[in-house]
Amino acid sequence: MKKPALIIGSLIILVLVLSVVRIFISNQVSTSGVVLSAIQTEAASVKTENTILAEKLYTESALTNIDSEAENLGFVTPKSDFVLSGQVSVAFKQ
Amino acid sequence: MTWRYRFAFLGIVFLFFLVVCRLFYWQVVKAQELSLIAQNQYGTTITLAPQRGEIRTSDNFPIVTNKISYLVFANPKDIVNAGETSSILSSVLGIDLASVSADLSLDKFWVPIASGVDLSTKQKLEKMDLQGVGFDSQYQRFYPEASMAAQLLGFVGKDDQGNDKGYFGLEGYYDRLLKGKTGLAIQVHDAFGRPILAQMNQATGETDGSSLVLSIDRSIQFLAEEKIKDGVEQYGATSGMVGIMDPKTGQILAMAAYPNFDPRDYQDYSEDLYRNPFISNLYEPGSTFKPLVMSSALDAKVVTPQTKCNICNGPVSVSGYDIHTWDDKYFPNTNMIDVIMHSDNTGMVFVAQKMGLDKMLNYLGKFGIGNTTGIDLQGEVSASLKPKNQWYAVDLATTAFGQGISITPIELLDATAAIANGGVMMEPHVVSAVEDSDGNTVGIPPKTIGSPISSGTAKAMTEIMINAVEKGEASWARLKGYRIAGKTGTASIPIQGHYDPTQTIASFVGFAPAEDPKFVMLVVLNRPTASIYGSETAAPIFFDIAKSLLGYYGIPPEGD
Repeated sequence: MKKPALIIGSLIILVLVLSVVRIFISNQVSTSGVVLSAIQTEAASVKTENTILAEKLYTESALTNIDSEAENLGFVTPKSDFVLSGQVSVAFKQ
Repeated sequence: MTWRYRFAFLGIVFLFFLVVCRLFYWQVVKAQELSLIAQNQYGTTITLAPQRGEIRTSDNFPIVTNKISYLVFANPKDIVNAGETSSILSSVLGIDLASVSADLSLDKFWVPIASGVDLSTKQKLEKMDLQGVGFDSQYQRFYPEASMAAQLLGFVGKDDQGNDKGYFGLEGYYDRLLKGKTGLAIQVHDAFGRPILAQMNQATGETDGSSLVLSIDRSIQFLAEEKIKDGVEQYGATSGMVGIMDPKTGQILAMAAYPNFDPRDYQDYSEDLYRNPFISNLYEPGSTFKPLVMSSALDAKVVTPQTKCNICNGPVSVSGYDIHTWDDKYFPNTNMIDVIMHSDNTGMVFVAQKMGLDKMLNYLGKFGIGNTTGIDLQGEVSASLKPKNQWYAVDLATTAFGQGISITPIELLDATAAIANGGVMMEPHVVSAVEDSDGNTVGIPPKTIGSPISSGTAKAMTEIMINAVEKGEASWARLKGYRIAGKTGTASIPIQGHYDPTQTIASFVGFAPAEDPKFVMLVVLNRPTASIYGSETAAPIFFDIAKSLLGYYGIPPEGD
C-alpha cells in the first residue's frame, strides 16, 4: 500500500512543479511580445534605411552619373592614344 | 408505459442527430470559412510580396534593382478639413486637385491617393502632420543607369490581376525566376494586439526572386550606347544598333539600340521602341552576308581563295535579271580574296552557282540562318528559309550577296562569331549566372550549337576578311597596327516590291584581334542620310568602338 501512495504523491508533486514552471515561463514570455514588436520595427527600419542608402550608392556610382560629373569637372576624352610599343631605354649610350 | 420510454428515447436520438448534423455543418461544411474568421480574431494574415530579383552586369553592379517608394492613402472619415488637405496633397504630390477632392469625399475608410511617391516627398508630407493621411511602403523597379540597355532589359508592368509582370527582354524572358513566390504569414497577437512569440509567423511559401548576373560588361555597354547615339546623329540615320559578343563563349558583352526608351516611364514612349531591334527586326543583310556564303563555298571545296571568277567581267544575267556590282566596276578573272575585298556581287553569283542550291541551303542551315539563335531574351524572331522547291536561280544568286533573304542582326552576329571562333558556333547568351534569394549561384555554361565550317576554312575566311578591311572600301577607317577581320554591308531596302536606291541599311561586321578574337561586333544604321554606304557610316563607328575596346582589353597595336 505504501508504494502506490508514494507514486501518486510523486506525480502530484511533479504536476505542481511543472505548473509552477509553466507559470514562470509564461510570465517571462508574456512580455516578450512587446520586445519582439520593437525588434520587428527596428529590423524594418534598418532594412528601409539600407535600401535607401543602396539606392543613393548605386545612383552615385552609375557610369552615366560619373560621366556627367567628369564632364562638369572638365575631363575630356583623349583624341589619340599613346602606346609604349617597346622597352624604353633608361639611358642612351653616346 | 413502454411507448413513453420509446418516445423519449427516439426524441433524444433525434435531438442528438440534429446536434450531429449541426456539428457536421460547422466543422465540415463551413470549416474553412470559420477557420479564417478565427484566424482574423487571434491574428492577422499578411500577404508577403516577394522582392523582385536584381539584374546585375558582369561587375556585379545592379543595373536593375528595387527601391522603396510609398503609397499615400487617406481615411476620409478621419480628415478634419477636406478642402485644405486636398489642396496640400494636390500641390505636394503634383496631382489634379479635383481628383484628390473626389477621393477624399468618398464614404470609405481607405482610399489610395498616389503610389510610387519618393522618400523626400513622403517626409515633406509627414512634417505637415495631416490627420487621416498615411503611408505604406512598397518596392518599385529602380534603374541606376537610367535608360542604359533598356531594350535588352525590358520593363515591369502589370498583368490582368494587377500583379507585377515582366515584359520584353530579360524581364520578360526570366519573369518567373525574377518575380519569386508570394507567401502568406499569420501574425498571432494577444488581446492588446501585441505579437505573441510562440506562434509569431506561420509564413508559407514566400521566396524572393532570383537575381540575374549578366555577361554584359557595363563599360562596354556604356561605350556602345554613346557611340551608336553619336553615330545615328552624325550620319542622319533614323535608328541604329550595335551588338558585341565574345565569340568563344557566345556571351553578349553589349547590345545597344538608339533611339531607346526609359524603363521608368515606359508608358510615355511609343510601343515600337519596346522591342529590341537586334533580335526582333528582320532585314536584308546585304554584303555582310558574303563572308557566310564564301566560307560555305570554301568549306564545301567548290572554290579556293585563288579560284578565278570567269563571269566577273560585267553584269551577270540570271533568269532575265541583270546583276551589277555596287559601283558598276568589274574585275575580270578576279579571285575569291578580291571578290570579298571589292564586295563584288558578280563574284558572289559565281560562288553561289558553283555551290548549287542544295549546298547553299545546307550551309545556311548550319549557320543557323532561318532559325532563332536561342538567345535568352523575350521577343526573338526569325524568318524561315523558303522550301527548296520555291527557290529560283535568281534567288540563289541574290542570296549570295545578302539580298532576298531576311535575317535578324543576332543571327548574323552569331554566324560571324562562328568564323571568329575557328568554325565553332556558340549559342548567344546574356545571363551568365542565376543567384537565388539565399545567395546560391548557378552558372550557365557556354553552349556549343554546331560547327558549320572547319577550323581551316575559318582561318582562310579570317584572312580574306582581314584583307577586306586593309584594302577594301572601308580601309580609310581601319585601325593601324591591328589585324581586324571585317566586312561592310550596304543593303537596299525593299519597298513595295522594288529596292529604293536612296534608302539603305548600312552595316559593318567584324572581329578583333583576328588571331585571337576578344569580340565580334555588328553595327547597323537604318537609312543613313549623310552617306548611304556602310563603309562611310557603319565602318567608322565599328572602328571607333573597336579602338576603345582594344584599349580596354589592354591589346597594344603592332607595326602598321
